[in-house]
Amino acid sequence: MLEHEVEILLVEDNPDDEELTLRVLRKHHLANHIQVVRDGAEALDFIFGHGAFAARDVQRAPRVVLLDLKLPKIDGIDVLRQMRADERTSTYPVVVMTSSKEERDIIETYKLGINSYIVKPVDFDQFAEAVRQVGFYWLLLNQPPIQ
Amino acid sequence: MTNSDPASTAAEPAGTPLDGDAANALRRAGEAEFRYLFMNHPHPMWVYDLKTLAFLEVNDAAIEHYGYSRDEFLHLRISDIRPPEDMTALRRHMASQRVGLQKSGHWRHRLKDGRLIDVEITSHSIRFAGRAAIVVSAQDISDRLKAEDEIYRLNAELERRVEERTAQLEAANRDLEAFSYSVSHDLRAPLRSVSGFAQVLLEDYAAALPPEAQRYLLRMQDGARRMGQLIDDLLAFSRLGRQPLVLRAISPTAIARQALDMLEAEQRNRRITITIDGMPDCQADPALLLQVYVNLLANALKFTRTRDAAEIHIGWRAEATADGAERPVYFVRDNGVGFDPRYADKLFGVFQRLHAASEYEGTGVGLATVQRIIQRHGGTIWAAAQPDKGAVFSFTLGQGEMDA
Repeated sequence: MLEHEVEILLVEDNPDDEELTLRVLRKHHLANHIQVVRDGAEALDFIFGHGAFAARDVQRAPRVVLLDLKLPKIDGIDVLRQMRADERTSTYPVVVMTSSKEERDIIETYKLGINSYIVKPVDFDQFAEAVRQVGFYWLLLNQPPIQ
Repeated sequence: MTNSDPASTAAEPAGTPLDGDAANALRRAGEAEFRYLFMNHPHPMWVYDLKTLAFLEVNDAAIEHYGYSRDEFLHLRISDIRPPEDMTALRRHMASQRVGLQKSGHWRHRLKDGRLIDVEITSHSIRFAGRAAIVVSAQDISDRLKAEDEIYRLNAELERRVEERTAQLEAANRDLEAFSYSVSHDLRAPLRSVSGFAQVLLEDYAAALPPEAQRYLLRMQDGARRMGQLIDDLLAFSRLGRQPLVLRAISPTAIARQALDMLEAEQRNRRITITIDGMPDCQADPALLLQVYVNLLANALKFTRTRDAAEIHIGWRAEATADGAERPVYFVRDNGVGFDPRYADKLFGVFQRLHAASEYEGTGVGLATVQRIIQRHGGTIWAAAQPDKGAVFSFTLGQGEMDA
């Protein structure tokens, strides 16, 4: 897969959630251009074109970043903060997908300009439906900022 | 004060012309009276020579208090009753002696037996027996200082303890918050794995699985769903104690109606008679009072499920308080299955359930939540019931926030 084709950046440290998310996206043919990163540092590498992602064009935003908040190394809110502080990445569409319903997370991430906040349902049917809707909306319906 | 002769003599009308002898007699009588006052003054007093610092006269209280005889006193100088380390301060003080009345403040004196006492000194410059002298009144403040020290020490101790407790509470609160944050994040993900991969098995391997295996997978999913609900309820319950109350004058009647609207699904296809009284306004947090009515009414609807004709009464009554005033008691009554009053104290505990989960679903957090909300409003809640004869939940609301 070529870096510039990435449509979804999935930032997810839980391999089960990763597999279940990919399964749902695949089922709906939404998983062709997806990049998975498994901690905050790797997410920043992708976003800013460092390390393994040095070949990536930072100006080309993915259609959506699915961001978990509790991540190893650098947590999701810090990833978000750094992304928003850089002009090249400040308009990347970000959907927080997390297990937490904590109000302070919701308020803080909205203040950092997230585009949506989704609490991952425990129930798989509901989870699958949430992932499907997010995928369809951001990949097919939403008009991204001009590239 | 005194009935002695000098006193009556002093009452002679002023301005009466007197001959020399009479005037001298009167002066002597007056001197005797003032000497009498000095000698019997309840605080230690003395007169000392401003130049030599020698005691010229002492009163009875001084003799009594300091332990020296009059004779001994008259052979001492005022520096002799000071501890040596105070001499510099005394000399500085003597150099700044002013004429007239002077409050010299707090000093230490040494008694004959060696004990040190704290005294407050007031003095006045006088002429005594033809010499420049100072008359001194000393008040022993040792006991007062000791008491003040003790109060100060106790206050400091109390303050230290309050600080310590506050720090402990803050630490406990931080721990609790970190705990619930972690629960909220970490405890659900594994449940999603259980529920999710059970679903994967059902979708991808249905053909290979006998019906019984498929049924077990469904039960696993059901268990995961219930635990998810339990975690949500518990987190909401623990958050209750932390979020601040927003008290407003609100109508419980309107809140109860709103709660019933939210429970529309539970009322569908059932014969239910619901009576709502017009209730007096109360001071409460609207969102939390709504939660109270939602939980109480959800219970009422749940436990009347087996009734052909369910009856729910949402009302109030006035109850006399101990101080003779009246306060409203709000209640929700139903004709449902009720409960055994022997277990009434278990009703409001977290995770406590009086019915089998197979009969009546629930996580056992609902009434605990209700009680926590009522307590935070400074009110109380109680329940009365008989098995199979319905239940009534009554509660009061206080005037303001109480610590839960």
